[in-house]
Amino acid sequence: MLINTVLMFLRELLPLFLLLATLLAWHSNQWRRFTLLLTLPAILMLALFSSNMLWISEQLDGFGLELLYSLLYAGCFVLLCMAAAKGVVALPFSALACACLLSINGSNLLLYIWLPGQGNADPSALLLGMALGVGIGSSIAVLWYYLLTELKQLHILSYRLLLSLLGVRQIMMASALLIQSDWLPAGPQLWQTEQWLPEQSELGFFLQALLGYEATPVLSQGVAYLGGLVLLLWCSRNLKNNRRSAQ
Amino acid sequence: MRSLRRYLVTVLIALFTLISFLAALQSYRQSAGRAEALFDQDLQVLASSLAQQYGASPQQELGLALQVWQNNQLVYRSPLAPETPMTETTGFTEQNFAGKRWRVFHQTPAALLTVIVAQPLQQRQQLADEVITASIYPVVLSLPLQALLIWLVVSKALSPIKRFSAQLASKKANDLTPVKLEQVPAELDQMLKTTNLLFARLADAFEREKRFASDVAHELRTPLSVLQVNLHNASQQWQQSGIADPQDSMLALQAGVERMSALIEQIMLLNRTNPEHFQARTEQLDLAGLCRQVVAEWYPQIEKKQQQIELLGLEHLSLKGDAFALRLLVSNLVGNASKYTQSGGVIQLELMTQAGKALLVVQDNGPGIAPQEYSRVFDRFYRVGGDRHQSGTLGSGLGLAIVRDIVNLHQGQVSLDASDYSSGLKVTVELPL
Repeated sequence: MLINTVLMFLRELLPLFLLLATLLAWHSNQWRRFTLLLTLPAILMLALFSSNMLWISEQLDGFGLELLYSLLYAGCFVLLCMAAAKGVVALPFSALACACLLSINGSNLLLYIWLPGQGNADPSALLLGMALGVGIGSSIAVLWYYLLTELKQLHILSYRLLLSLLGVRQIMMASALLIQSDWLPAGPQLWQTEQWLPEQSELGFFLQALLGYEATPVLSQGVAYLGGLVLLLWCSRNLKNNRRSAQ
Repeated sequence: MRSLRRYLVTVLIALFTLISFLAALQSYRQSAGRAEALFDQDLQVLASSLAQQYGASPQQELGLALQVWQNNQLVYRSPLAPETPMTETTGFTEQNFAGKRWRVFHQTPAALLTVIVAQPLQQRQQLADEVITASIYPVVLSLPLQALLIWLVVSKALSPIKRFSAQLASKKANDLTPVKLEQVPAELDQMLKTTNLLFARLADAFEREKRFASDVAHELRTPLSVLQVNLHNASQQWQQSGIADPQDSMLALQAGVERMSALIEQIMLLNRTNPEHFQARTEQLDLAGLCRQVVAEWYPQIEKKQQQIELLGLEHLSLKGDAFALRLLVSNLVGNASKYTQSGGVIQLELMTQAGKALLVVQDNGPGIAPQEYSRVFDRFYRVGGDRHQSGTLGSGLGLAIVRDIVNLHQGQVSLDASDYSSGLKVTVELPL
C-alpha cells in the first residue's frame, strides 16, 4: 500500500511539479499573477472532471476519459507553444497550460484517494505514502526551479530545450492515450528499452515526467514527438526577448 | 535579486527531503524484500515438516529442530533434534543442546501430545541483523551524498560574497572605483551599496584635499607677489626719502615674505608630485642632459657662493620617466647641496648604471646631517633641529619630501649617507632604466 501510494503520487505529481517549476522560473517576477491565473481554471476543471468521472468514462464507447485526457494534454502543448511564441500572452497561456495538466493529474489522485477499495486500507500507510510522494516530488521541483533559474540567466538555449521537452512530453502522453483508444494508428515499434530502463523505476518515472519516456514507443509517437519538439523549439526562439521585456 | 537565506533554506530543505525520503523508500523496499524472504522460509519449513511427517526426506536442511511426543514417547524428531525432550517448559525458552544455544517453543495442543520446535539463536540473530541492516544501509549511504550536495549548495550560495571579497582584495590603494557584481543577493546588496558609497566619499575627500592645498597655495601666491613688489617699492622710497631703519625691519619683512613665497611654491610642487594625485607622463629622456640643464639653472647662485660643481660619470643616460618630475628632483638635490654648503664648498653629481638601474649620486662637503636624522628628513615640513635650525638658510622642509615622492612615483629608491669628502651629505637615487 505504502509503495503503491508513493509511486502513484510520484507518477501524477512529478510531471505537474516539473512543469510548474519550469513556468515559474520563466515568470519568476510575476509569480503571484501566474498563481492567480492558474488557480481558478484548475479548480473549476478539477471539480468538473472529478464529479463527472464516471459519466465521462462511459462516453464514446468507454473511451471518454482517455479522449478527454488526450485533449487536455494536447491543449497543454498548444498553449505552451502559444505562450512561447507570443510574449504578451505568455503568462495567461502558461497558467492555462499548467491548469490543463493539473486537472488531469489532480483528478487521477482524487480518484485514487477516494477509491472504494481504499476504505479497507491502512490510513496511516496512505498518509505516509502521500507525504513521501509529495515530499519527493516537491523537492525535485524546488531543485529543478533553481537549476532552470540559473540556466535561464546563463544559457537560454538549455532552458528552451528543457521547456520544449516538457511540452512535447504532453504530446507523447496524448498520443499514447489515443493509440490506446484506437483513435491513432500505432505503427511499428521503434525500440525496446524495458530491460535497461524500466518505466516503473525511479529514473524511468523522472524521465517519463520530464520528456515522456516510453520503453516501447511506436512510430506514430516518434513522429509526433519529433514534430512537437521542433515546433516548440521554433515557437520559443524569441524567449530571450520575452524575458528581457519582462524585466 | 534573490535572498541568500531563502535560497539556502529552500534548497537545503528540498535536498534533505529528497534524499531522506528516497533513502526511506529504499529502506522500505529492502526490508520488505528481506521480510518476504523470511516468510518464504517459513513456508519452506512448513512444507518440509509436513513432508517428513509423511515419510518423505526433506529437500534441504532448514536448520530447525523438531520433536513430537505422544504418551511420553518420541514419535517424530528431525535430524537436528536430540532424543531427549528439548525442554519441559511450555512456551518460549532458551536451551543448550548439540553444542548450540537454541530458542525453543514448547506446545501441548492436545492431551498427551507435545510439539517442540527449536531454532539456533545465532541463526535468528543473523536474520534479524539482515533485516535491520537492509533498512539502515540506504540511510547511511545517503549521508556522504548529502554532505557533498550541501557543500555544493552552500558554495554556490556564498559565491557572490566570495566574488565581492575578491574584488575588494584585488583593488589597488588608489583605486576608488565602485565594486560591480552581477546577481547580488538581497543580503549583500546593502553592503555593496554602502561600500561603493564609502569609496565615492573617499574619492571626493581625496579630490577635495588635493584641490584645497593647490587652491590655497595658488590663491596665496598672487597677494604675496603683490606684497613683495610693494615691499620693494616701499624700501626704495624709504632709501630715497632718507628714512632710517636702524633695526632692519624692512629687510626682515622682505626675508619673511620671500620665505613664505618659497614655501608656497614647494607646497604646490609637493601636491603636484604626490603619487596619489600625480599622473606621470613617462617618456624616454636623457638624465645626464637634464642634470646639465639643472646645474646651468643653479649656476648663478653657485657662482655667487663661489662653490665648485662638477658632473661626473656617463655623458648620456637614457631612462623612462616624467621630465618635469625628474627635473624637480635634480633641482631640489642640487639646490639643497648649494644652500647648505658653505661658500667655497664643493658639490659633485655623478651618473652611472648598476644592476639595470640608473644611479644619481649628489654629494657635497657641507656640514651634512647626523645619521639618526636620515630617516626623518624625508618627512614633510621637517628641518634638522626643528625650531632651532642652525643653518640660517631659507627652507620649508619640503625639498626631500618632494624628492621621495618623485622617486616613489618612478618605483625607485633614495638613500642618504655620509659624503666621500671629509664632511657633508651624499644622496643616492636609484631609478629603473
